[in-house]
Amino acid sequence: MAFDLTPLDLFDPSSYPTRRHEEWKYSDLSRALRDAPARADLTHMQAEAGDFGGFYWHCAGDGQLADLQAAVSRAVQSSDGRLYLDMSDIGGEGTIAGYQGEGRITLAAGEHLILLEDYSGALDYAASTVLHFDLAEGATLIRVVILDEPESAVSVRRSTVTTAPGSVFKQYVFATGAKFQRFETHVEHAGHGAQVEMHGAYLLKDTAHFDYTTRVNHAEVDGATQQLIKGLVKDRATAVFQGRIYVEKGADGTDARMRHQALMLNDGAHVRAKPELEIYADDVQCAHGNTIGALDESALFFCQSRGMPEEVARALLMQAFVVPVAEQIEDEALREMVLNWIADKTEGFYAL
Amino acid sequence: MLNIQNLTVSVDDKTILKGLNLNVPAGEVHAIMGPNGAGKSTLGYTLAGRPNYEVTQGVVDFNGEDLLDKEVHERAAAGLYLSFQYPLEIPGVPAMTFIRTALNAQRKVRGEEEMSAPEFLKTIREVAKTLKIDMDMLKRPLNVGFSGGEKKRMEVLQMALLQPKFLILDETDSGLDIDALKVVSDGVNALRAPDRGMLVITHYQRLLDHIKPDRIHILVDGRIVHSGGPELALELEAHGYDRYVNEAA
Ligand SMILES: Nc1ncnc2c1ncn2[C@@H]1O[C@H](COP(=O)(O)OP(=O)(O)OP(=O)(O)O)[C@@H](O)[C@H]1O
Ligand SMILES: [Mg+2]
Repeated sequence: MAFDLTPLDLFDPSSYPTRRHEEWKYSDLSRALRDAPARADLTHMQAEAGDFGGFYWHCAGDGQLADLQAAVSRAVQSSDGRLYLDMSDIGGEGTIAGYQGEGRITLAAGEHLILLEDYSGALDYAASTVLHFDLAEGATLIRVVILDEPESAVSVRRSTVTTAPGSVFKQYVFATGAKFQRFETHVEHAGHGAQVEMHGAYLLKDTAHFDYTTRVNHAEVDGATQQLIKGLVKDRATAVFQGRIYVEKGADGTDARMRHQALMLNDGAHVRAKPELEIYADDVQCAHGNTIGALDESALFFCQSRGMPEEVARALLMQAFVVPVAEQIEDEALREMVLNWIADKTEGFYAL
Repeated sequence: MLNIQNLTVSVDDKTILKGLNLNVPAGEVHAIMGPNGAGKSTLGYTLAGRPNYEVTQGVVDFNGEDLLDKEVHERAAAGLYLSFQYPLEIPGVPAMTFIRTALNAQRKVRGEEEMSAPEFLKTIREVAKTLKIDMDMLKRPLNVGFSGGEKKRMEVLQMALLQPKFLILDETDSGLDIDALKVVSDGVNALRAPDRGMLVITHYQRLLDHIKPDRIHILVDGRIVHSGGPELALELEAHGYDRYVNEAA
């Protein structure tokens, strides 16, 4: 099945989804973005290969992104098989600069790629992107996404993943939210025995909004989907997790597990979770769990009684809550990078 | 060293400690015994500063300072250590990280330099060895999935590393096997010093064979109703609390 998913057209406000659309009930784009943004001028940006096979994905101009495959092919053939997609310095100052576009990443049979996508920066922008991942037989893609976007950002990042027999796709998303931040991943288990992991951790404060929406369709036998999403929400921030796993008739031997765990650090924070499993096959193992709780006050007291000031104890427990997501990253350099990022973010998080 | 006068404490509007008096001089070990629900753990929690434990009356003087005026972590930095009856599980935080964070936080409050990672590792290795704790266990999240006895050993390990001035052991002996009781008691005894005080809460004479107390206090219904020498434990072992409970009623 080919995905029919295009970027949401930022430059046409009449096309924006509203809360009347079931899929957008908890994330109101039209409220975050009332008018079409100005088109960002991306022409002066150049593709650059740096550390980690760095690549700026924005050299087509007029608010449109360039195609990616050339950079991907170079990365796959390089010795470390990594690509760093740097999206950190697009935008305007004071005015919202809009950019949108699609990229396709195709991995041939047996190819490996480690992809780090860095969406951070301090400029003002509205972004709508789609990345398509096509994995051929036995291909492996490890995808780490840092959504450390500015408070003012409006972003809708979509991706599609199509597997083939024996292919592996592992995704780790780390988000701090933005004015509006939605990250969608649509997975088609099109090959038997494909292994998909889609994890995530979010650290939201102030009025940040983060929406992690995942859609998985098991169309082939013996596919596996694993998901662990953990997050912290404080102040008046909102976390949305919409996860759906659909197991088609005939997709026997499917193993699908989805867990979402959130800590609400104060009243006034919001967590909207909607995990769904729909199963029409036989002989499947499926489970989903969703827990929303508060920081364990007894554990907090225990830490303090051993000499940790409240803010140190809180930071320690919050960090401990989300690190299991990062600890699953097998690549050591990436794992360390993400763990440091989490430590950095949680440290600024405890202040009440 | 620790002087408690007329301590009255409510938890969720229920009065649990009802005018408790207790004085533990430096260098001494005092034991507290008493029936279930008498308020022994409440005393420990109150001294450590647990939220919701509301002190409605009384004063606690700790080395010339008002203990109740301090925040929880400041009490720890001042040298108070409560070994929990039920040590908490801390998912995601390796025991080693937890202890080092606590140690360095205390040092910071006291204006001392942080202990470096290599020095910490060396120290914890030595202490773990004497307490027969495997180093692998210290890499696991603190107390998560640990057995009852292992949790208690971890409490004593932290005690040995933090070197507090005053120890409150809340049923540190419960859940320990016979060998562990000896190991843990030796660990506690090693901390006995002229400038250190201890309050040992226990139900069993057995522990007091290992850690010999200077005084024993009987706590019934939120008050110390009787105090005596070490021989009191033997008497309680033989006759139970009936006499004291009836007197208190
Ligand atoms: N939140 C609370 N609300 C009401 N009562 C409470 C609360 N917490 C504790 N208590 C009560 O306080 C009393 C004293 O409890 P505490 O744990 O101090 O007893 P203890 O002497 O340590 O007993 P044990 O020997 O069983 O450990 C008990 O009756 C207990 O039920
Ligand atoms: Mg108790």
